[in-house]
Amino acid sequence: MSYEKKKGFYGLCFLSVWLLGCALFFAGPLIESFYYSFNSVRPIVGGLEIKWLGLDNYARAFLRDPRYRQNLTEALRAAAFKLPIIIIFSMFTAIVINQKFKGRTFARAVFFLPVIIATGPVYAIITGDLTLTGNDSAEQFTTMFEADMVDQLLEFVGVYGFGENFTDWISEITSGILNLVWSCGIQIIIFLSALQGIPLSAKEAAEIEGATSWEFFWKITLPYVSPMILVNIVYTVIDTFRDPMNPVIARILAVQNEWEYGYSAALSWSYFAIVLAALGIIFAVTRKFVWYENE
Amino acid sequence: METAALHKKIPSILKKLFPKKEKEVKLSRKERRERYKKRLSFLEEGERRYLKRIRVINAIWPICRTLIVIGLCFIILYPLLFMLSTAFRPLEDMYDPTILWIPKSFTMNNIRDVIKAMDFWKTLGNTLVLNIGCSIVQVASCALTGYGFARFKFKGRELLFFFVIMMILVLPQILLIPQYTFFRYFDVFGIIEAVTGEPYNFIDSAFTMYFPAITANGISAGLFIFLFRQAFRGLPRELEDAACLDGCSPFMTFVKVMVPNASSTFLTVFLFSVVWYWNDYYVSTSFFTKNRTIALMLKNLDPQLRIALHGNANANVDVRELIVWMEAGCLIAILPMLIMYIVLQKYFTEGIARSGLTGM
Repeated sequence: MSYEKKKGFYGLCFLSVWLLGCALFFAGPLIESFYYSFNSVRPIVGGLEIKWLGLDNYARAFLRDPRYRQNLTEALRAAAFKLPIIIIFSMFTAIVINQKFKGRTFARAVFFLPVIIATGPVYAIITGDLTLTGNDSAEQFTTMFEADMVDQLLEFVGVYGFGENFTDWISEITSGILNLVWSCGIQIIIFLSALQGIPLSAKEAAEIEGATSWEFFWKITLPYVSPMILVNIVYTVIDTFRDPMNPVIARILAVQNEWEYGYSAALSWSYFAIVLAALGIIFAVTRKFVWYENE
Repeated sequence: METAALHKKIPSILKKLFPKKEKEVKLSRKERRERYKKRLSFLEEGERRYLKRIRVINAIWPICRTLIVIGLCFIILYPLLFMLSTAFRPLEDMYDPTILWIPKSFTMNNIRDVIKAMDFWKTLGNTLVLNIGCSIVQVASCALTGYGFARFKFKGRELLFFFVIMMILVLPQILLIPQYTFFRYFDVFGIIEAVTGEPYNFIDSAFTMYFPAITANGISAGLFIFLFRQAFRGLPRELEDAACLDGCSPFMTFVKVMVPNASSTFLTVFLFSVVWYWNDYYVSTSFFTKNRTIALMLKNLDPQLRIALHGNANANVDVRELIVWMEAGCLIAILPMLIMYIVLQKYFTEGIARSGLTGM
């Protein structure tokens, strides 16, 4: 065996464990569920009952199921709205906590805290998205939580007796901010590391030339950070679309609970295709604005 | 030298080591303003404007920054503060409108009730064993895979790496039902069915978590493989060449040379793996029918509490009552992760920052 072939063989040996797992738990199920999506699949005793339907599941999803289309537009609109806000907010926060001030370590620790909590059921309970069984206590739970927060803040500042509408409006915004801040942890870390990668010479040059912080942001920070903006966009898109609280995911789970495995596979695949297409478009567009230092 | 003489010398040595800083001459406010004005008078119009602007920004920005940072920290910590405030509060205080944050008296009853309802200690033990076990095997397998992708060239490497990227992208919902049927009707080429009459049912066994983890296909495995690949690519090749010349086999090179050099990546991936296994309730709901982990227990805490406290899953419980217990449950459910985060915070944040995402 030649040296190169030998090395290639060693490489495959290192991958062998993953190759087995990938065949069993990734590639296999992937193909299987793609096949399911063209069939009617229902669980029966001792296995699954599979009947060929062709493209009917997809036709049903897009033409006959009004809820799926509605959920889909809802999810897409929410994502399109959230994406720029998350990117801008996390960049702003990263710039702020990259500066030197007292208590910076504490602030950083707090800002990354959501990363360890936000994927779990605790977060779902906090935001009231986890439907609790029994009565609709979940909804009351959140409304109480949010109203409490706004009222307390207002009382804390010393404002009493505002109209109901105003409090509602404010509570909507605050819950939005809560969601926003809680979904930005990883993005802030990535931006922060990019900010720390800006060479000192660039900073000094800008200072000597008398750049204001506004100019510094547009001419120095943004170009250096731009590759990480792309990374963060991709991460945010994947994260929002995979979120179990997403309406489409909720719909898919509901269909699964009705034992319609074939239809749920069709829903997931069409959703996945749309996500990939969206990601491709965003990637192609933003790529033009990315600046790499070594090019 | 005698000790007494040495003692005499110490002050002078100290003085040499730490020379006193010369105190800046303190100017009164008026003098400082005059100085500033004098300085301005030597400058041109544009320079003057620039200096003034900088002065204003330097005075205002720190105040704004403090407000922003404190406000955002408050929003992030609010749910946790709320948890702390409600979890130790006696029920009567929940109905008292004068109590906002600090209850009149503290009680451990809520926590005790929730610990009983969740069977907390047993569940905690189960979860920790499962999480740490899965994370260890997952880190090992992902590191092997990442190393294979980072350092060896072979046919189809790009195609295989494309699969890793797909593992990050593909929705878990797509894979779940085939995975479920795999474990529900487990069989190796029909051998088990031929021997025992029916395929083996792995649902509810920890094997459903360990098997994917050991083959680098557990929770967020794609991301971990990617991180390891980036980390190993960043290490100098000379390390392996030296080991190879000394007659070290590729596997031993990996164990003895590469692993110690990438130890911080190992720690980061391990920590995130533990956190994500801890938080996962999506994958585990489909493989476990019993509430074996903290996350599952918490997800179904509501009916559990009703059964434990009123003996009936549909018992009518007031929302305010429920909140106290839910918050207490949340608190004890995140406490282990919170402690881990506080102790090892550095590795979480630095790990992501150094993870080599920059080399993408």
